[in-house]
Amino acid sequence: MSAATTDTANPRKPYVRPISKTSWFLTSARYKSYMVHEVSSIFVALYMIQLVAGLFYLAAGPEEWESYLAFLRSPVVILLTLVGLVFFVIHTTSWFKAVPQATRIMRGEEVLPGKILVTAHYGIWAAVSLFVIILAWVA
Amino acid sequence: MTATRTIQLEVLRYRPEQDAKPFFQTYAVPVEDEWVVLDALNYVKDELDRTLSYRWSCHMFVCGSCGMMINGEPKLACKAFMQDYPSGKIRVEPLSNFPIERDLVIVQDDFVEKLTAVKPYLLPKQDKTVEQGEYLQTPAELKKYKQYSLCINCLCCYAACPQYGLEPSFIGPAALTLAHRYNTDSRDAGPEARGDLVAAHEGVWACSFVGACSQVCPKDVDPAGAIQQAKLYSALNFVTGMVKGDK
Ligand code: SF4
Ligand code: SF4
Ligand code: FES
Repeated sequence: MSAATTDTANPRKPYVRPISKTSWFLTSARYKSYMVHEVSSIFVALYMIQLVAGLFYLAAGPEEWESYLAFLRSPVVILLTLVGLVFFVIHTTSWFKAVPQATRIMRGEEVLPGKILVTAHYGIWAAVSLFVIILAWVA
Repeated sequence: MTATRTIQLEVLRYRPEQDAKPFFQTYAVPVEDEWVVLDALNYVKDELDRTLSYRWSCHMFVCGSCGMMINGEPKLACKAFMQDYPSGKIRVEPLSNFPIERDLVIVQDDFVEKLTAVKPYLLPKQDKTVEQGEYLQTPAELKKYKQYSLCINCLCCYAACPQYGLEPSFIGPAALTLAHRYNTDSRDAGPEARGDLVAAHEGVWACSFVGACSQVCPKDVDPAGAIQQAKLYSALNFVTGMVKGDK
């Protein structure tokens, strides 16, 4: 186009569709489920805080540790922990599902199939859980 | 004989010289089950309304020009089959997150700038003369990035990416994927040559790994995966850089 073209002769007038900064995620089912997934990670965070707090109580001494255990035994905390556990499992599985996307391992000439990676993660998860359960049993 | 039925094709129209803003126009289109949405648009153009504008070329998922929102999902119009839309009503809009040039045609300038910025071509480690021959590569080295080289620049991923919608400075899925494609090519000098942009605020770190881009990609490129790998790559680079003392 020649530089002499003036604005009045230029029929271009791109239209920008507005996007809401606060409610964009309501515009599609995919965004909605994404938001629910992300917001639910708050339960995972609470669960983590609970675990880390336990470490501090453990370090503080036997009495403090007992009080932490008593806190854990209250029905509300048990309920919250169960809810946390459910979301922990959901987030762990969705994370495992994404592993082959985020890592690409070459085995010789071929890309290592994602299934093997995912299965390995579940295997390690199961092994560690088993170990912890046995440990809890013995202790 | 193929079954013919009539669908209501709702098209978002926008004619800059006469419309203040876009509006929906509905066309009654007799379609066959083997048709794709692009065929229905071509029917409108040929038989009903010549003023309708949209982009297409190959009609076989290769050129990447017919990306549009079909019932709210970014898709190639030539890959959206009538039989998957039994309801009799299809709504077609230009790709989300882009300005509308006219009807279903979007303004691509922003993407083209970003694409150029990531230098989507080989930056060889060492330049060779023609006499010195080709830059060779083994099949295994090719497999490492091949999936990421299948992108047809249809921009469906940008239309799906909430991050790009909210933060237009984000380089976005396809361009970052292409940067990763070259960065992981054994013949390429790698991220030092184009890494700055990829590792920048507008680069891979702006992506929240929602994965919407990979879900809509018609070529199974998996841009979300490429971006995650690029994050790992750029994090490792940063750490090795620190160890070596240049950061
Ligand atoms: S990555 Fe996929 S969706 Fe994005 S532009 Fe390339 S082909 Fe299209
Ligand atoms: S994974 Fe990243 S690039 Fe893909 S849609 Fe999500 S934010 Fe956008
Ligand atoms: S017309 Fe070429 S990809 Fe659809």
